[in-house]
Amino acid sequence: MSSRKSDTSAPSASADDAPLAASTTAPVWRQSLIASLGANLPIPVLLLLLIPLSRIVEGQAFGLYNQRIVMLIGFNIILAVSLQLINGFSGQFSLGHAGFMAVGAYLAAYPAISYSQRLTDPTSCLLFFISLGIVFAIGGVILLGLFLLIRMTRRIHSAVPMWLLLLWIIWIVADFARGSLLDRQAWPYWLIWTRLIAALQSMFDHMIAAGQTPAANFSAHLPVFLQQPLSYLVLVIGGGLCAAVVGLVVGMPALRLRGDYLAIATLGLAEIIRIVIQNSQPLGGALGLTGIPKFTDFVWLYGAVIITIVVIWRLGYSAKGRAIMAVREDEIAAAAIGIDTTRQKVIAFMVGAFFGGVAGAMFSLHERSITPGSFGMAKSIEIVVMVTLGGLGSISGAIAAAIVLTLLPEILRNVGAEISDYRMIIYSALLVVMMLVRPQGLLGGRELWPRRFFRKQAQPRGFPVGGVK
Amino acid sequence: MIRAASDPSQPLLHVVNVSRHFGGLSAVSDFSLELRRGELIGLIGPNGAGKTTCFNLITGVYKPSSGEIFASGERIDGLAPMQINRAGIARTFQNIRLFQNLTVLDNVLVGFNRPAEMGLFRTILRLPGFARERVRAEVDGMDLLSILDLADHANQLARNLPYGQQRRLEIARALATSPRVLLLDEPAAGMNPNEKQDLMELVRFIREKFDVGILLIEHDMKLVMSICERITVLDHGEIIAVGPPAQVRCDPKVVEAYLGEPV
Repeated sequence: MSSRKSDTSAPSASADDAPLAASTTAPVWRQSLIASLGANLPIPVLLLLLIPLSRIVEGQAFGLYNQRIVMLIGFNIILAVSLQLINGFSGQFSLGHAGFMAVGAYLAAYPAISYSQRLTDPTSCLLFFISLGIVFAIGGVILLGLFLLIRMTRRIHSAVPMWLLLLWIIWIVADFARGSLLDRQAWPYWLIWTRLIAALQSMFDHMIAAGQTPAANFSAHLPVFLQQPLSYLVLVIGGGLCAAVVGLVVGMPALRLRGDYLAIATLGLAEIIRIVIQNSQPLGGALGLTGIPKFTDFVWLYGAVIITIVVIWRLGYSAKGRAIMAVREDEIAAAAIGIDTTRQKVIAFMVGAFFGGVAGAMFSLHERSITPGSFGMAKSIEIVVMVTLGGLGSISGAIAAAIVLTLLPEILRNVGAEISDYRMIIYSALLVVMMLVRPQGLLGGRELWPRRFFRKQAQPRGFPVGGVK
Repeated sequence: MIRAASDPSQPLLHVVNVSRHFGGLSAVSDFSLELRRGELIGLIGPNGAGKTTCFNLITGVYKPSSGEIFASGERIDGLAPMQINRAGIARTFQNIRLFQNLTVLDNVLVGFNRPAEMGLFRTILRLPGFARERVRAEVDGMDLLSILDLADHANQLARNLPYGQQRRLEIARALATSPRVLLLDEPAAGMNPNEKQDLMELVRFIREKFDVGILLIEHDMKLVMSICERITVLDHGEIIAVGPPAQVRCDPKVVEAYLGEPV
C-alpha cells in the first residue's frame, strides 16, 4: 500500500502535465495532427472512387432499370443508416422514419416548384426557408408560452393543467370548425386561432412578396454554373433542417415514453404528418405534387451517402456516441454518472431526422412527382426491417441490409416467370427464416471493419498494472 | 473535470431531517447525516429499513417529501440525478447496473463526460483537438482501470466480467466522475471472505487516494465495524443509533432490531 500512496495524484487531476501515452515521444500537437489527418484520409479516397463508379452507373451499357435500382439502394442506405442512429445507438425504437422523409420531401419539392424557377434561383429558395422558419418560430413561441403558463397552474392543483389543456384544444378545434363553416365576421371574438393562423400566413406572404424580387436579382448575378447546384443544396439542406426541427418538436414529448409505447407514438406522429400533407391544398393533397425539377443523379447521391455514413459513424463511435449508447444500456445509471439523458436522446433523434429529411428531399428531386402514399407506414416499416436485419447498433449491417433488401425483390423478379409471381412471398419467408436463424441480425451490433485502424491501445501511465486486488 | 476547492468548513454531504413517504407509507422519516472530508460512514439496518431509499433520496432518484440536502454547502435536494452527480456525488447500485454491451474501458470513459471531448464539430470533422482529447481520456481511463486491477480486461464487454470485477468496475465508473462523495450500496454482496478482505483494502485505499468521503451500506458486520469511523443504524425508516462502531455494537436498541445476540 505504501508505495502506491507516493504515486502521482488522481488521474483526472494530472491530465494536463502528463505525456499523452507512455510509449510514444512525439509532441502532442504533432501526434493529434497526424491522427486527425489519418482519420480524414478515407474521405478523398472514397470521393475519388466516384469517377469510375459514375462512369459505370451512368454509362449506356448499364441501362436505366439498373440505374434506378442503384439510386433506390442509395436512398435506402441513407434512411437505414440514419435510423440506425435512432434505433440502434440510442435505443429509442422509432417507427416513424418515413414521416421525417415526407417532411424533407415536401418542403424541398414545394419551393422547388413554386420559387426556384426550375432550380435557377437559390436565393428565393433560401428566402422561403427563412420566412418559414421565422413564421414557425413566432407561432411556436406563442404556443410554448401559453403551454408554460398553463403548466404553472399545477401549483393550484395537479389536475388543473390537464383540464385547461383540454379546454384549450377544444377552443382551437371549435375556432377552426366555426371559421370554416360560418361567416368570419359573425364571430369576431371567438376566432382568435383562425385569425392567428391567417395573420401568420399573410406575414409569410408579405415576407416572400417583399423579398422575391431582390432575391431573384441576386440569383441572376450568380455565375450560371453555380445556380443549379446551389439551389439544389439549399433545398436539400433546408428539407433536412425542417425534418430535424420536426424531430425536435415530435421528440420532446415522445421521448418521455419507452419501448413499445414510443414505437406506437412515433408511428402515430408519422401518420399525422402524412395525413396533414394529404389534406393540405398547397401541397397537392392526395394527388401529390407533380412537375418537380429532377436534379438528383448518381454523383449527388453517392456524395450524400458517403457524408451520411461518415457523420453517423463518427458521431456513433465518439465520446458523444458513448453517452448515447450509455442511455440505451441503462438510463438510471447514465443519469447517475452525470449524463443528460434527454439531451442525448434528442440529439440522436434530430440527427437521424435530419438525414431522413435529406433522403426525402433528394428523393423528391429525383422522382419528378411525389404523393403522400410513398411515405406511409409501409415505408417506415421497410426501413425498420433493414435496421433490424442488419443488426441493431451496426452501421455496416444497416448498409448491407439496405443493399440486400432492395436488390432481393428485383433479383427474384428476374429469375423466372414462375418465381416472379411468388417473389413477395419468398421475400417475406426469407425474412422470417433470417430472424429465426440470426435473431441478432446480420452483424449483430458488430462492424465489418475494425473500429480502431491505426490507433494503438492506450496504456496506463502512472500505476503498475495489477494494483489493489 | 477538476472541481473548485470546496469550503473545508462545510461538510461534504449534509442531510437535514429528510423524510419521504409513498402515499401513507413512511419509507424514511427525519433522516439526518453529516459526512466530512475523508470520513467513512456506514449505514446499516435490517432489510427494508430504508437504506437504499436514503441513497435514492440523496442522488435524486426520489425527491424528498420534506427536509434539505447540501453537498459542500450547495443545496441539492430536488435536483435531477444528473445535476446531483455534477455537484460531486457518485454512487454504485445494489443490483449492478453497468453498461453491459460497452467495453470495460468505455464504461469508465462514459463517466468522464468531459465537454471538451463532446464538441459536435470536433467529433464530426475529426479535428486535431478531438484526437488529443480522445487519447487523453483513454490514458486516464486506463490509469483508473489499473488502480482497480481491471486494465487487463479493458477491451472485454462489461457483461462478460466475473461478478466481483463487475462490482469493482462500477466503483471505477463512479470514480471517473471525480466525486467528492462516494455512495457504495452493498459493495460486498455476494462476495466470499477473501474477496471481502480485498474490497475492504480497496475502499480504504480509494478514500485516501481520491480524497473522497464514503457512505457505505453493508450487511457484513465484520466489514462495517472494521473500516467505518461512524455508523448510522436505521430501522423502519428511522435512525435508532449513531456513533462509533464500539458504541453502536452495544446499543440495546440496535441489538434488538438488527444484531440479535451480542457478537
